[in-house]
Amino acid sequence: MDETEKPAALLYINRLAKQLAPSADVVKKTLKRKDETVHLLFLKSVVDMMQLQEIVVKPFYEISTEYNFSEYIQSLPYETAMPTGDEEVLIEITKGNVFVMIGKEMTLLELKMVAANAVQEAKIEQTIHGPILGLSESLETNLNLMRQRYHQPSLIIETMQLEDCSNRAIALLYDKERVRPGLLENIKKRLQTLDVELVQASADLQYYINNKKRSLFPTSLLTERPDRIIHNMDAGKVIIMVDGSPNAIIAPIVFFDLMISMEDNYYSFWVVKSIQLLRYGGLFAAIFLPAIYIGVTSFTPDVLRTELALTVAASRIGVPYPSFAEVFFMLIFIELLTEASLRLPTMVSATATTVGGLILGTAAVDAALTSNIMVIVVSLVAISTFVIPISELSYAVRICRFLLLVYATLFGLAGVLLGLLGLILYLANKDSMGEPYLRMFWQSRREELKVEQK
Amino acid sequence: MKHKSSFAIKSFGVIFMLGTVILLSGCAFKDIDKRLFVSAIGVDPAVNGEEGYKVTLKVALPFGAIKETTKPNFTYLSKEGESIGEIIRMLETHADKVLEFGQMKTIVIHEDLLTDHMKTFMDYFIRRGDIQFIAYVAGAKSSAEEILKVQPDTEAPASVSMFNFFGDTGTESPYITTTYLFQFRRDFFTEGLNAVLPLIETNKDQTELIVNKTIVVDKKKDPLTLDHVETKYYNTLFRGANGFSYKVKNGDKRLLLNISRVKMNYQIITKNNVPQAIDMDVKMVGVIGESDKTLSIAKLDEYNHFASKEVKKKILGLLNRMQEHQVDPFGFGLHYRATHLSHDHLAETWQQAYPDLKFNVNVEVKLQSTGTIQ
Repeated sequence: MDETEKPAALLYINRLAKQLAPSADVVKKTLKRKDETVHLLFLKSVVDMMQLQEIVVKPFYEISTEYNFSEYIQSLPYETAMPTGDEEVLIEITKGNVFVMIGKEMTLLELKMVAANAVQEAKIEQTIHGPILGLSESLETNLNLMRQRYHQPSLIIETMQLEDCSNRAIALLYDKERVRPGLLENIKKRLQTLDVELVQASADLQYYINNKKRSLFPTSLLTERPDRIIHNMDAGKVIIMVDGSPNAIIAPIVFFDLMISMEDNYYSFWVVKSIQLLRYGGLFAAIFLPAIYIGVTSFTPDVLRTELALTVAASRIGVPYPSFAEVFFMLIFIELLTEASLRLPTMVSATATTVGGLILGTAAVDAALTSNIMVIVVSLVAISTFVIPISELSYAVRICRFLLLVYATLFGLAGVLLGLLGLILYLANKDSMGEPYLRMFWQSRREELKVEQK
Repeated sequence: MKHKSSFAIKSFGVIFMLGTVILLSGCAFKDIDKRLFVSAIGVDPAVNGEEGYKVTLKVALPFGAIKETTKPNFTYLSKEGESIGEIIRMLETHADKVLEFGQMKTIVIHEDLLTDHMKTFMDYFIRRGDIQFIAYVAGAKSSAEEILKVQPDTEAPASVSMFNFFGDTGTESPYITTTYLFQFRRDFFTEGLNAVLPLIETNKDQTELIVNKTIVVDKKKDPLTLDHVETKYYNTLFRGANGFSYKVKNGDKRLLLNISRVKMNYQIITKNNVPQAIDMDVKMVGVIGESDKTLSIAKLDEYNHFASKEVKKKILGLLNRMQEHQVDPFGFGLHYRATHLSHDHLAETWQQAYPDLKFNVNVEVKLQSTGTIQ
């Protein structure tokens, strides 16, 4: 029997093994018992050895001869569909599948071991009352998390494989009764036509599925919170998850989604409204305050009250550079500080902020490099930026204020208004997966259908 | 590859050029420390020469630490010339920084200039774009320059105490009339109404500003000054001022009434469209605020009666004095013009009738209590 088998099947498994060589973790094993032979081919770095032992090796020697081992293997729930072509089979093996060959029967068993499947604490979008845990870095765990929180047969999970060199699995999640018609096709088309070298995480996939390569504002949302994912899925949006990334992409989004913190769902109405008011105030301050400072102090001090005008004028005594140079200097300084404290370990970053913020700030005022009103403006701007709940938006805002600064330097307060107008035009012109970006009230498909019926 | 690098060089060039443009800044760009904030303008008649004015600018100076500064800092620029515009242009050459009129909130005018020819110089303030229409206008006794130079002891650093008198910004008193620039110009040109201005005075030591009189300005006549009692009645009845108090003397009793609500209605009685009389109803509600005798709440009606009689006398005195001088700060004429069918001689009819009008004043004082004590 050995002799007949060798030419066709054994040759195939040898060919596969050869292609995987000379990697150190390739294991090609032959299990033999009387007249039965089973060939296994797998990568030991991604396969759960204990499971392999329990599910394949042990039964092989324990099963009585009357029963067919091949049928046993076929009936296991771990089986994955066998693709055609060597390349595809190899990809499956690298994902953690065990290639089992009994006689001429070839099977792929998914016995993968994922080291990073621990659910992580939500660190970026923290809330006080919401769930504490976020997503994990394993797609299976994440899908499990979603199913556990959304018990609806209408929740559809579609998996795809990226056509890049990492061959990652990505999953599309949506509620088929609520998802917007047309949206799903749109997103699938985008994903299928992706032409990229390597996708590492949700963040760069998000960048690639964005229609325009050079854009400032995010057109999809990256989140680590399961409650935000469910909240958005319930509103008819599509969630994209990438294996190995603890973030999920929500698409499409409108601008106002970026200003929502999940905390808004957990407080009473008026509390939420006032916090939102505060947040939008912070957004306004973060974008406009430096520009308004220049416009008011250097073009139209009439706007200020007399006392304030005198105070501002007094605080600028001895500052050698014009106000816009001062603002640029201080803003770049604060950006450096923010970037530095983000990159540093938590323990060191506290020192960095203290040294940078307090000591350098005071020293700059004492050295008459900047006015103390300017220090107030810059710190207010820095604080306001952190009020924005989604970090991608706060990055966009940080760039926007430099643009507005240029307008204010050239045209004063009128320039600030011009800049605001330009910003609104830009946002209004933008779309996210075909949805208008500045759309005010997002409703789920069901609610919209209700409106139409009326 | 070559294409890419040339693109990079080009875009770098564009960014560099734009960067240099930013350094140039806009044409209206002038830093706040290169500006001088004019806080008040004083206009006096020229000392040398018949025609012309003397303009004094009160310039607020910025100073370092506000908390440590005890005295406000001002400097004064004065110049004589033929027109206000010309003088201010010349004054710009007397200071190293731009004169900024955006914070200018008080225009003080010498008493003697409050006649017809103020039309010519008030024009400048209206036409100049950066002077706010809500600037206060006031008359000055002795001279505007003197009033501007008063630095009251109560003046805080980084503030101009003259602003606080008007518009209920700081002190609130029925003795203070507030007139804005837009209002003054409008009233000045309206027929059937005389513009009024507060009069600012100072004490001998020049440590206080005193504002409790009102000047009625007429295009053809010399200005008429209302004393502080008349000012109080004028402001309470026609400007809705709060805080009216009134001292009543009846025999040996002296009462001070604190009136909380004053309501005034008047009607012009006409016969064949010619005004004959003005019926005025005044209702006052308040409490007794001060007394030198024991009071009884049962006698409130009696006190009401005294008070009504006395207040009526004062109101009639004010109305008759204005009638005598043929000025009308109350706007009776405007009211007549506004409520009667227009014809060519409407204004003339009023002017002829005004000196002979009869005033029927009916005052009703309603005291609610004798204060918090019996």
